[in-house]
Amino acid sequence: MQEKAQILSENDIDRIIKRISHEILERNRGSESLVFIGLQKRGVPLAKRIAENIKNFEGAEIETGKLDITFYRDDIGKNIKPTAQITDISFDIEGKNVILVDDVLYTGRTVRAALDAIIDFGRPKSIQLVVLVDRGHRELPIRADYVGKNLPTSHNESVEVKLKETDGEDSVTLVVGE
Amino acid sequence: MAKNEKKNILIKSGTIIDPAKGNEFVSDIYIKDGIIAGIKENIKTGEDDAVKIDAEGLIVSPGFVDMHVHLRDPGSEDEETIETGALAAVKGGVTTVACMPNTNPAIDSDALVKYILEKSQDAACSILPVAAMTRDLKGKDITGMGILSETGAAGFSDDGKCVADSRVMYEIMRYSTQFGLPLILHEEDCFLSEGGLMHEGHYSSMLGLEGISSLSENVMIARDIMLARKSGARIHITHLSTRGGVEMIKKAKGEGLNITCDVTPHHLFFNDSYLTSFNTNLKVKPPIRSEEDRKALLSGVKEGVIDAIASDHAPHLDTEKNTTFKLASFGTIGLETLFAAAYTKLCLEEKMSISQLVNSITILPAKILGIDAGKIEVGKTANITVIDTDAEEEIKRESFISKSKNSAFIGQKLKGKIIYTISKGKLAYMSK
Amino acid sequence: MNMLSKKSIVDAGSLEPEDIELILSNADSFLEISRRDVKKVPTLRGKTVINLFFEPSTRTRTSFEIAAKRLSADIINFSSSSSSLKKGESIIDTLKTILSMNVDLIVIRHSDSGTVKMIDRFVDIPVINAGDGKYQHPTQALLDLYTIQKRFGKFEGLKVAIVGDFLDSRVARSDMDLFEKMGMEVTIVAPTMFLPEDYSEMNVRHNIDEVIKDTDILYILRMQLERQDRKFYPSVMEYNRFLTLDMKRLEEMKPGSVVMHPGPVNRGTEITDEVMDVGGTLGEKIAIEEQVTYGVAIRMAILYLILG
Repeated sequence: MQEKAQILSENDIDRIIKRISHEILERNRGSESLVFIGLQKRGVPLAKRIAENIKNFEGAEIETGKLDITFYRDDIGKNIKPTAQITDISFDIEGKNVILVDDVLYTGRTVRAALDAIIDFGRPKSIQLVVLVDRGHRELPIRADYVGKNLPTSHNESVEVKLKETDGEDSVTLVVGE
Repeated sequence: MAKNEKKNILIKSGTIIDPAKGNEFVSDIYIKDGIIAGIKENIKTGEDDAVKIDAEGLIVSPGFVDMHVHLRDPGSEDEETIETGALAAVKGGVTTVACMPNTNPAIDSDALVKYILEKSQDAACSILPVAAMTRDLKGKDITGMGILSETGAAGFSDDGKCVADSRVMYEIMRYSTQFGLPLILHEEDCFLSEGGLMHEGHYSSMLGLEGISSLSENVMIARDIMLARKSGARIHITHLSTRGGVEMIKKAKGEGLNITCDVTPHHLFFNDSYLTSFNTNLKVKPPIRSEEDRKALLSGVKEGVIDAIASDHAPHLDTEKNTTFKLASFGTIGLETLFAAAYTKLCLEEKMSISQLVNSITILPAKILGIDAGKIEVGKTANITVIDTDAEEEIKRESFISKSKNSAFIGQKLKGKIIYTISKGKLAYMSK
Repeated sequence: MNMLSKKSIVDAGSLEPEDIELILSNADSFLEISRRDVKKVPTLRGKTVINLFFEPSTRTRTSFEIAAKRLSADIINFSSSSSSLKKGESIIDTLKTILSMNVDLIVIRHSDSGTVKMIDRFVDIPVINAGDGKYQHPTQALLDLYTIQKRFGKFEGLKVAIVGDFLDSRVARSDMDLFEKMGMEVTIVAPTMFLPEDYSEMNVRHNIDEVIKDTDILYILRMQLERQDRKFYPSVMEYNRFLTLDMKRLEEMKPGSVVMHPGPVNRGTEITDEVMDVGGTLGEKIAIEEQVTYGVAIRMAILYLILG
């Protein structure tokens, strides 16, 4: 049996992204030296939307990259994830404030892998983390700098994020059971 | 079998195939002091007088004559010896073996012929040495064929090699007419076959293995037919492998030429598609050829163009076979699977009669070698093989008696099992 | 956990279409890694790969070595000329020694056809054929396929002419298996001495001029003089007349067509100096360097899919 409860609507998500865009500008005192890296696959459109907002607010064009962390996972060989997606960071991250964007923060292992991967591209001034949903249950000492919504969950629940660019609609749903 | 040595033997109710008379009948055979004393129904002997063999439902055949065997003695006794080769022979129902002279040293002198004959005295079966046609098998200097035939050579051959020099071959043929012994010819143009590892064809191309063209054999058969026609020599083409060869020999026989030939069970059994496994035990010379060739060989046997079936038993050590296909030696052992392999293909698949098969491994090779063998006759030393044609066996490496285990048939299911072999008048082999 | 359908890659012909697709689709990610400043990911940390080369090779061995290192695997080179492994000194003994060291994968090259297939039957760990005798060189065929995919974006209906010593070439055999599997039309351009005795079932031409205008991919084989036990081809002059890619022939090739070669090129024999050094639009036809770059990505993809 599966039960679903919608947590965030399209409008909610839109407001959250706008809010986070402002927070990023506030904390970094403007858009200078910012770059965005979206984690494959739903972090990528989220990063693009934030960059788009900042362009609207400040007129600044922020470089946005994509990162796939398949080759940095610590559970390789344990799951089947045959095909890696594209990593595209075609700009220099040396000395930059890197804003890493993902949809859901859970155990922290994906972010750990992403930190390793980013550091292979250079030495940024800082790395800050944006997530749409933080569902708790961290297994590593990792926290997000910008959180869309804190959503306490249990292990038998899962969080389903849908975005227009990848899934045709914007929503966040809590799914209970298998 | 020591405990049976003095005993007489009674074979009860077997189906006797006697190729000499060309008939098949159920009867008993009584062997007294090694000599066939009686062939008739319901022979009665005293209680402890004889070893009794219940042969009801079994075939009783003259002991087989394998006219192409490598015993590796002298020189490579780690691969086979006269003694172990003879034991392998009787396990295969073979009671007479003609052994090839490509030993080390080659059998090219009367001393070496004597060596084989003397060493064979105590062997489990009769062994006939074939002597070299040229000294050290070099294809140049003709051996003392006169002295060799007086000493007891059963024929002449440079097997393993082919005399490339046509003049030398022609003179060998002319000289051989003085002695009446057959020339057993390994037909291979060594320039055409040089570097070759398997039959040249679709599969060699697919496997990236250097090919041995059928031409290599056919060119030499054509030459030797011409030389024999002119010289009048009695030639025997051994281990025939090509369709072209079958056709040429058929034609030559048709015009009355004194030519005979034999084929091996492995050339009747396999085609070159089996080589896709890179199984080095299938690396043989001449190579396992195409399906078209195999079919022609089967027809050749059925039509009587091919006279004899011979094993070309060629023992090799594991180190010579457990290597890359290129480095592996040519040859498969065959004494122990001679009957079963031929029976499975020719009689079961091709529906040839069992008596025709028995002819090709008894009376016909005996005739070619000019020996008195391949018969069941009262008053003669008993050489008899008892066969269960219904028994099926998967051939396993461990089952071989031969010192070497390089059998192409390992893993194949064969029908036709040798149950008893009586050789030189004694019970020489009994299956478990 | 092996994501391919078979334990090992021994020949191109037995690769399943799904495996081919998986390897090609993963190669893109590895191509990207190879273009980074830090060309290394930790994916295969702790895995040990052995490069077992019984035949001298620089290109293929280096390609596998770079591929393994970029994935953080440890790779050990074990070279032994085939001549030191004669009869009596069995390859199996060498393998037993290597297996006792707990390696995870073996890359093998050997001068004798079929040897990798034999070794694969003997060992439990995955084996990758890096070329055996005249039989197969499957990773070369895969990188060739990837090069074609990158250039044309499709396979179906492409016309390929494989030019040169077909008989002695493991590359030609492997390529032909994969090219035909992917729906390409393959023609062999070779003189009789580089063809099997009976080639009536094959699509064969003897003169490069017969295919030059119409072919999408001109795949030129190395003239492997070192593999010819006896020399039957008359002369380089004769080769130049009928088979060599020269400027005149390059100019005749249709727009968008490419020239491939497994390397290293014997300049002046199969391709002229002029063609090798040509720039501009004509130079873009030559995909030989791309093949080398893609080779690393393909080998990374294979190692990842088998060991990842």
